[in-house]
Amino acid sequence: MLARVAAFEFRQQLRAPLFWIATVIFFLLTFGFMASDRISIGDTANIHKNSPFVIGQTHLMMGLFFMFVSTAFVAGAALRDDETGFGPIVRATPLGKFAYLYGRFAGAFAAAALSFLAVTAAMAIGGFLPWIDPERLGPFRPDAYLFAYAVLGLPVIAFTSTLFFAVAAATRSMAWTFVAVIALVTIYAICGIAFGKPDVEPLLARWDPFGLFAYDVATTYWTASERNTLLPALKGALLFDRLFALALAAGFLALAYPLWGQRAAPGGRAAAPSRRPAAPARGSAPPAAPRFDRRTGLAQLAARTRFDLAQVIGGPVFWVILGLGLANAAGSLWTATDDDRYGGALLPVTRILIPVLDGSLYTFLVLIAAFYAGELVWRDRDRRADSMIDATPAPDWTFIVPKTAAVILVLIATLAVGVAAAILVQAAKGYFHFEIGKYLLWYLLPGSVDLAFVAALAMFFQVVAPAKAVGWGLMVLYVISRFVLPGMGIEHNLLLFGETNPVPLSDMNGEGRFWIGAWWFRAWWSAISLALLVVAYGLWRRGAPGGPARRIARTPRRLAGAPGWLLAGALLAAAGTGGFIFLNTDVWNAYRTQIGDDRWLADYERTLLRYETVPQPGVVAVRMAVNIQPGVPALEATGTYELENKTAAPLRQVHVRFARDLEVRALSVEGARPTRTFDRFNYRIFTFDTPMAPGERRTLSFDTRLAERGFRTSRRETRDLTAVVHNGTFANSFEIAPMIGMDRERLLTDRAKRRKYGLPVELRRPPPGDLASRAWSYAGHAGWSASDITVTTDADQTPVAPGQEVSDVTQGGRRTARFVAEAPILQFFSIQSARYAVRTVRYEGVDLSVYFDPRHATNVGRMLKAMKASLDYYQANFSPYQFREARIVEFPDYGRFAQSFAGTFPWSEGLGFIADYRDPSRIDMVTYVAAHEFAHQWWAHQIVGADQQGATVLSETLAQYSALRVMRRLYGPDMIRKFLRYELDSYLRARGGEVAAEQPLERVEDQGYIHYRKGSLVMDRLAEEIGEDKVNAALRSLLAAYAFKGAPYPTSLDLVAALRAQAPPDKQALISDLFEKITLYDLKAVSARARRRPDGRYDVRLEVSATKLYADGQGRERPAPMDEILTVGLFAAKPDSSGFRPRDVIALAKRDIRSGTSTFDFIATRKPAFAGVDPYDELIQRDAAANTVAVKQAG
Amino acid sequence: MLIIEALSHIYPGGTKALDDVSLTIPKGMYGLLGPNGAGKSTLMRIVATLLAPTSGFVRFDDIDVLKHPEALRRTLGYLPQDFGVYPYVSAEAMLDHMAVLKGIADRRERRATVEALLVQVNLWDQRRRPLAGFSGGMRQRFGIAQALIGAPRLIVVDEPTAGLDPEERNRFLNLLAEIGENVVVLLSTHIVADVADLCPAMAIICEGQIVRHGAPGDLMAALAGRIWMKSIDKTELAGVREQHQVISTRLYSGRTVIHVLADRDPGHGFAPTLGGLEDVYFSTLAATPSHRPAAA
Repeated sequence: MLARVAAFEFRQQLRAPLFWIATVIFFLLTFGFMASDRISIGDTANIHKNSPFVIGQTHLMMGLFFMFVSTAFVAGAALRDDETGFGPIVRATPLGKFAYLYGRFAGAFAAAALSFLAVTAAMAIGGFLPWIDPERLGPFRPDAYLFAYAVLGLPVIAFTSTLFFAVAAATRSMAWTFVAVIALVTIYAICGIAFGKPDVEPLLARWDPFGLFAYDVATTYWTASERNTLLPALKGALLFDRLFALALAAGFLALAYPLWGQRAAPGGRAAAPSRRPAAPARGSAPPAAPRFDRRTGLAQLAARTRFDLAQVIGGPVFWVILGLGLANAAGSLWTATDDDRYGGALLPVTRILIPVLDGSLYTFLVLIAAFYAGELVWRDRDRRADSMIDATPAPDWTFIVPKTAAVILVLIATLAVGVAAAILVQAAKGYFHFEIGKYLLWYLLPGSVDLAFVAALAMFFQVVAPAKAVGWGLMVLYVISRFVLPGMGIEHNLLLFGETNPVPLSDMNGEGRFWIGAWWFRAWWSAISLALLVVAYGLWRRGAPGGPARRIARTPRRLAGAPGWLLAGALLAAAGTGGFIFLNTDVWNAYRTQIGDDRWLADYERTLLRYETVPQPGVVAVRMAVNIQPGVPALEATGTYELENKTAAPLRQVHVRFARDLEVRALSVEGARPTRTFDRFNYRIFTFDTPMAPGERRTLSFDTRLAERGFRTSRRETRDLTAVVHNGTFANSFEIAPMIGMDRERLLTDRAKRRKYGLPVELRRPPPGDLASRAWSYAGHAGWSASDITVTTDADQTPVAPGQEVSDVTQGGRRTARFVAEAPILQFFSIQSARYAVRTVRYEGVDLSVYFDPRHATNVGRMLKAMKASLDYYQANFSPYQFREARIVEFPDYGRFAQSFAGTFPWSEGLGFIADYRDPSRIDMVTYVAAHEFAHQWWAHQIVGADQQGATVLSETLAQYSALRVMRRLYGPDMIRKFLRYELDSYLRARGGEVAAEQPLERVEDQGYIHYRKGSLVMDRLAEEIGEDKVNAALRSLLAAYAFKGAPYPTSLDLVAALRAQAPPDKQALISDLFEKITLYDLKAVSARARRRPDGRYDVRLEVSATKLYADGQGRERPAPMDEILTVGLFAAKPDSSGFRPRDVIALAKRDIRSGTSTFDFIATRKPAFAGVDPYDELIQRDAAANTVAVKQAG
Repeated sequence: MLIIEALSHIYPGGTKALDDVSLTIPKGMYGLLGPNGAGKSTLMRIVATLLAPTSGFVRFDDIDVLKHPEALRRTLGYLPQDFGVYPYVSAEAMLDHMAVLKGIADRRERRATVEALLVQVNLWDQRRRPLAGFSGGMRQRFGIAQALIGAPRLIVVDEPTAGLDPEERNRFLNLLAEIGENVVVLLSTHIVADVADLCPAMAIICEGQIVRHGAPGDLMAALAGRIWMKSIDKTELAGVREQHQVISTRLYSGRTVIHVLADRDPGHGFAPTLGGLEDVYFSTLAATPSHRPAAA
């Protein structure tokens, strides 16, 4: 019987359109991912699109999304009879509850499982598509598909189907069931936020029925080659997790039986008889005569809006969606202020919270708009009240207008509740500087308007669509199109419904001028939305119009008069605003897309990279006058470069390059003529009439203008000019001044894109030590130069440029300051100007200053302190500081970084200035960043690497090392260990995502995870092993040899050689391991037993297993013999726990650890709780948690 | 006066619901009698401006209904055959909402109207209860209350008594009789008694065509002396059908009472009987080929 019910249900499901729609959607989603090189689920340039890892990841991701479909299947099976009114008939049959319930479920589940095969099929078929770059595809692996479908996907489907079957059985309501779905999604999203915290991770990896966390943990630190070939072993947490999902499924299935009660037909509650005035006398009121005037119209509008609003907010569903949206937003808001790299925190300033609020609430808002547009448009029909309502004399517009208004009001109310949540989060974090005005102007107002567009579109779709589900489907297509169209190169906000320019927020600069473009787009979409609504009004179903043709035929009569004029007005407004926007985005400025930019970069490289090696003169002196007009915005730079031929041969050409959008008003080179100009690339080649002799000097004169008229169209990030703004101008020399010669900064690096545009897949720099490329540094061909820079800006602003300020004059509303650098600088400097407050302390003969927005004074003291500590350490251990001033200069949150130019450190207002250090256990990121940037004054601005592999070791790794030394002095070793644990985790994660090849440190090619993260670990271990003094002595020798010297520039080999010169013979192999190889360790404390001795002390025996591995660039490992002296120790508390104190150390010893298992004996004075090898995680090891173990009592 | 001329309607599927229907409906109750699927509701929906016919003409006083539906709606009260209600909404709130839609904007006037109507249809005590919990009769009374808002001059009532128990039906018909004095009330039903009890004028519709119309008394008079009755055993029915034009059969005390139509005494024990409206109806239906009466 059960089988027959199941078979019937299965056929029923297969006949329903839902099955086919869902199957097609999931097929297309997956297929789209396979067929597109722009969508990625875990694949990167060198992880195959059909690698076992990606197949598994995709099945899990799709399994999560599929929840909505499987729920609809099983809930449909549970509820269909009630909805159709067929329930009593079915219940009257002799069919048992068991067969009925589980037969239904089995049929629906089979349909869901079959539908989900679409994902597997799409991936498998996608693996054979001819147009996919063959390098992105691996061999066909049937076992991987089977594993992904059966082990990863199916248990998820089983879990969600059973859970929501049980929910549907209990609630007897599709709406409540979907509310439960959203609740689950929200909870899962919150878990996702918590994931990554070390103590939560193993928990989630075992108890996550969706399997994503378990899969993530099972494949963490996997390298590309492992991801391409391996399936995760079905054991440990992953096995447990899969069994947990199935156990849950069985549990829910069992639970559905008792939950499925035989509920009576819904009946109304009896009214409370409390208020019961006597009935008025019969016929006491004369029948009121209807009137049809303006007043009635307004009353109808108000009453209808109220009524429709009540229909939305009166039901429980809205409140639950709202609650879930808020929960999701609250989670995001709460963690928005985590500065996640090293566990730091930011103050919850309004500007930071607004984008987070927007991002976390937006999906829910679109959901509300789409759902309730459908509900309201179709409500009268669904409730069969349409005949009664449609026959009333209410004018046609009283249908669509109040419904649209109700949806919009609900959305605005939701936004307002979101704002309240953000304010509550601020208060909860002890931040009471509430900026209501910013919430209104930066979020509520623009957000409301943007959502009104979505509401209008949703209404339009519902009116046009022949059924509610079709209207919802159209909204789904709209949501998908928002992702897909930009990927196809359509990025113009005139073409993407409801899209406006993003407005970057800054406390320094407010909304700047960026809001102007955004509101023009809002005007355009307002006009379009209005037109859509008028058309929807024309097409509104009233009565039974009898087919689309008749509806359309009826429309002109409806539109006659005012609606027609409104439509005409809207179209006219659209034409006007659209035209003006086009003038701004396509005539005054260039309309650019990501694809177009990529192509431009590819062409740039193809055309110009060949000039990289053409010998160029150096720049020995810069004289430049910079005129900043913040309000225009414009920045004009005029000046000269003193060029000198520093090579040994005559030079025939000088290559002069400018940023893409910089207007070059004049350019001349003494004794040379432009012989080739690449206008598209703003690149010019000058040929000397008489070649420039070695040692000869010539002058280059330039006059440039960086400005913007009107606005551009942009998505996600603004494309408008952010370098020159009202308050907070920050331009670097590359953006405003000529560059000499070609180099490979900012070329296309993404391998897939490079292949797509026909470039060599890898843009490799020459190996370290290459002779030819030692002629220029990775900062360019210009070399070291003197500088004399004059900056003019508005009188209320403070201009900043590198060097000592020799004059500062304000006249005629303009302020002019002249800066002359005391030491040579690189041709890479910044100009800044804003309304700054300045705090300066003089220390060791150096003016240490912070230029900050007066509202951002919180961390200024900490910054100054960090600069003092840095100056102390660096001058004592490296060499004297080359300038008499060091300036930290704040810039608007249009970028979130800190940077080091000669004597100046631009620092984003989104980072250190709003960092929150009320919790002393957090890592002090302000001091770390300040020390790092200050260290660059030596490691970049005194010695700079040749433009070859390993160059950034000399700048970033050494800056990282220096900063950690300063931090160690200020905060002690515990804080550094904490810091290094973040570094280790971040390095190991990133190497798995490497797109080209992981390099050993000495050959690093601008890979942040190597030169920063691994660099910290390597240098700290080295200092531990050979001593800090030896490392610093090596660095001093490097400075002595290369500081401020031109070609040949130093390489990473010089650093390694200097270190080798200081290291004892037994550490030479270590240096090879650290710098020349990719070395990994697997250390494990296998067991530890303690036995109490008669004298009260303890014999402790620790068993340790150790493996050392060398990896190649693709992550292929081979074991290496290990023989190293490492720390082993006994502890009263776990060394990486937060409560660990120095007195918890019972014994520490250095022991020789070899490959394989070793045993160590201790005699301890106290009973240890933990024992371990390398307890402070000094080695690069993949499972740092394994190197300590709890001590067991023996005997 | 409601004038319907040459009205035809074909649904998109090809079903011909109305075929050249012409009627002139004066003030007072007018009954439209017909079996299920005869086209009653289609006609009612066209009159109520909810459906645009394929061809034809509808006119109420000086309003061209098809050209200016909005003008008719201002003076129309419509009770659909089957209507649903919103969840959580009470009778009073829904009636108030309908009053707004019907153009009674003034809050006080509206309250007075709603109260008066609730009393008139005897729902005062239940006014705070959600409509969703109403019984069929209460729901129909609510339906007539909303149709009466704004003193309409044309009231269209589609199958209002279907599913009501006798007491509810009585109460409802009384209500209709009260209001049917000064306005045009178009009542559709498949229950002969509804028309017989209430309507001074009527039409019978079958297969989309008006097959008979006039005052019930006149129609019955036309059958005078032509209806013959006999009580037979069930097994004899087939034989009788072969010889006589049977227009109705019904069971009475276990035997089958049949009415036949004949100009002369058919003999065989048939006795003359007074023709009721039911006989008019059934004899009319019997004249249409697909509507042979079955045992009732």
